[in-house]
Amino acid sequence: MPPRSEVRRAAAANWPSPATVANPLWLLLRVNALQSWRRVLALRQQSKLLTALIGVFLVGYAALAFLLFYRGLRFAGQFPGLGAVLIERMIYLLFACLFALLLLSNLVISYTNLFRNRETAFLLPLPLPPQTIFRWKFIESTLLASWAFLFLIAPLLAAYGLTQNAAWHFYPITLLFIALFIVLPATAGAWLAVTVARFLDRRAFQLAALAVAAGMIVVSIIWLRPEPVTDEQLQTRVLVVLDRLLLRTRFAQFPLLPSYWLSAGVQHWAEGALAAAGFFALVLLSYALFFGSLMFTRMGTRFYNAASAVQSRGSVLGRWRGMRAWRRRAVFSYPRGWFETVFGWLPAVSADARALLVKDARVFWRDTTQWGQTLVLFGLLAVYILNLRHFSEQLTNPFWINLISYLNLGACSLNLATLTTRFVYPQFSLEGKRLWIVGLAPLGLPRVLRVKFAFGSALSLLVTAGLMVVSCRMLVLAWARTFYLLGAVVVMTLALNALAIGLGALYPNLKEDNPSKIVSGFGGTFCLVLSFLYIVASVVLVAVGSPWGRAGDKPWPWVAGAWLAFLGLSWLVGWVPLRLGVRRVVEFEY
Amino acid sequence: MIELNHLVKRFGDLVAVNDLTLHISAGEFFALLGPNAAGKTTTIKVLAGLIKPTAGTARVAGFDVQHEPLEARRRLAYVPDFPFLYDKLTPWEFLRFTGQLFRMDEARLERVARELVRRFNLEPYLAKAIEGLSHGTRQRVAIVSALLHAPEVFVLDEPMVGLDPHHARVLKDILKERSQQGMTVFVSTHQLSIAEEMADRIGIMHEGRLIALGTREELRRQSGAAGALEQTFLALTEQEANLREEHAAAK
Repeated sequence: MPPRSEVRRAAAANWPSPATVANPLWLLLRVNALQSWRRVLALRQQSKLLTALIGVFLVGYAALAFLLFYRGLRFAGQFPGLGAVLIERMIYLLFACLFALLLLSNLVISYTNLFRNRETAFLLPLPLPPQTIFRWKFIESTLLASWAFLFLIAPLLAAYGLTQNAAWHFYPITLLFIALFIVLPATAGAWLAVTVARFLDRRAFQLAALAVAAGMIVVSIIWLRPEPVTDEQLQTRVLVVLDRLLLRTRFAQFPLLPSYWLSAGVQHWAEGALAAAGFFALVLLSYALFFGSLMFTRMGTRFYNAASAVQSRGSVLGRWRGMRAWRRRAVFSYPRGWFETVFGWLPAVSADARALLVKDARVFWRDTTQWGQTLVLFGLLAVYILNLRHFSEQLTNPFWINLISYLNLGACSLNLATLTTRFVYPQFSLEGKRLWIVGLAPLGLPRVLRVKFAFGSALSLLVTAGLMVVSCRMLVLAWARTFYLLGAVVVMTLALNALAIGLGALYPNLKEDNPSKIVSGFGGTFCLVLSFLYIVASVVLVAVGSPWGRAGDKPWPWVAGAWLAFLGLSWLVGWVPLRLGVRRVVEFEY
Repeated sequence: MIELNHLVKRFGDLVAVNDLTLHISAGEFFALLGPNAAGKTTTIKVLAGLIKPTAGTARVAGFDVQHEPLEARRRLAYVPDFPFLYDKLTPWEFLRFTGQLFRMDEARLERVARELVRRFNLEPYLAKAIEGLSHGTRQRVAIVSALLHAPEVFVLDEPMVGLDPHHARVLKDILKERSQQGMTVFVSTHQLSIAEEMADRIGIMHEGRLIALGTREELRRQSGAAGALEQTFLALTEQEANLREEHAAAK
């Protein structure tokens, strides 16, 4: 038997060089660019309000982020003797974290784009070398995974350039640095995706990704665990304390990290050390060229083998003897399943509503993306809130305690708004081609909406109410204040769920099966923007309406007025869209 | 023109295609029938180069699908049951795109495309976005795009899904014409009437095996069932299922 390397080389030799085909990559780029351009045009033609909303949101984010970064950097830079070090470390740390996020994003997007994509399946039987298909998909995945990074980072770099009084050429050169940088996580992500696809099926991949993410969180918790610092140390040995703190961020300055080359290059250029910056630019360029050319010339056969493997294998988990025995037993015992059992305990819920609840719960549970993202978002918030206990000794000023408790309310609601827009809003649309099942059932569509609202709200309340109570206990707030904030978060949770369900029914997209595409339409964008505005207004009203003022208790008409405004706003933002949605589905044609 | 030799395809423990050997000559209209999960679509996917066989070989127009993939694919056209089309393109743009991928010269591309568009009555839709077209119209666009480069082998998975009777007739006529001109047609379908009306030979798969192969008359004789192809098909698949059960019981 010939060695594996020879077999691989022979297989690769069977694909003619892409150069012999008349610009197929160019054809693919052109067709997809045309598609994207038409999507943009369609957006404009569909709704001017949507275009305006998106425009305002983008400009608003950029302006607000720039302002915050600018003030933050100015503030940090004013620490005598420490400002420059702090800013330098923050830049290294930020790019290291963004590098990890980009890597993860590239891995997930490349996997989906290469192996779960209808265009790929369409292209494979055409006379195109797999290398050409891989090239196009690699470019597409890189763009999809990196645009948000550029959007996030642009205001920071602008603010950094201004605070450092950088020359005009800092800004275009920074773009070049970033363009080189994003190639590296993209190549690593694509390579990992192909390798993972070759050996793991989708479910095993999802479980492995979650296990890695959970492992990283645990490592972060251990690595960043707080160390007790006494007041005396804070006053007399500031430098020692700071040194201990900065020691934890040293990993971001590991010289083989691409984020290190980017951070060092950008900072050197801002300082005018052009030779040092040029060195890091060349390092980035050489790695980008090396790995980029590997992607463009050596991945075709690997990709084709992995694509074939993805479509050819049984479940990887199913190969385990125990799993196979369990599945055989499960198939022949016709179990009710634990969702059905648990929902069976709910009193006063009719059988049809319960069936819908069980179906929605099963779909949620079996879609790892849904509970995975929920877990990550609220997991990070929980880690932050639980860590508050380490600061409670230092937090003695009622002003800061109050501020943090309202910020926690805002953070909790913003997290929830992201999830209601991403997962609750598309619920009605996702019935899509299956709408005839629930639509023709005696349950009726209005009740379908109400059941979905009840399910979404119950699930959200478990998390938001729990987090709010824990947050208040960590801040050692009195029970009266705890219940006050708990009441606010309950009202906001109900309003945000009602808004998402209502707008989802008012702006349905029954043709689309992909929830992220449903969300990116007018209704989804409107829901997100409205949710954010509602949260900002609500947190302000709840804070203003708090009976515990700085100068003693506030008069009750003031408190009642603010709460009436808060409840009225919640009614307007939540109940009204839900009511309109219910009315809309009564006469729904499908 | 199509040669499948001892083809095996496994998905984990499941043997989707089990030692399939089948030779189809140039200009032949071949219909592959079988109950659900018989292995028809897997066979087509191997033939189209979408998946690699576990064992055995597949050749198109003399070229091994795995070892000379581009040569094989240049001679092949494949239309799945739910074809992918670029939603934001118009049918005309999509036809030009596929023609260019097959490196057709402009004049020929336009001439052939015009002719096929006329026959499939696609003129009113040529400038509209594909996303707004009905399922049947999209299916017609996919079929036209596949026929553009005059493939030597045309593989179709459930080609009549979504087509109205008029356009189903047009497709049948074109397939018959092209087949008379030398194009090999390989159709996988559950619609027995297509096989009965059009096919030169019919193959019946069951649980990954080719259990019957021959002309309409040969299959009828083999099954011992009189009447339409439906009776033949049911008799053959039932016989096979009974044999399997007996075999399993003996084990």
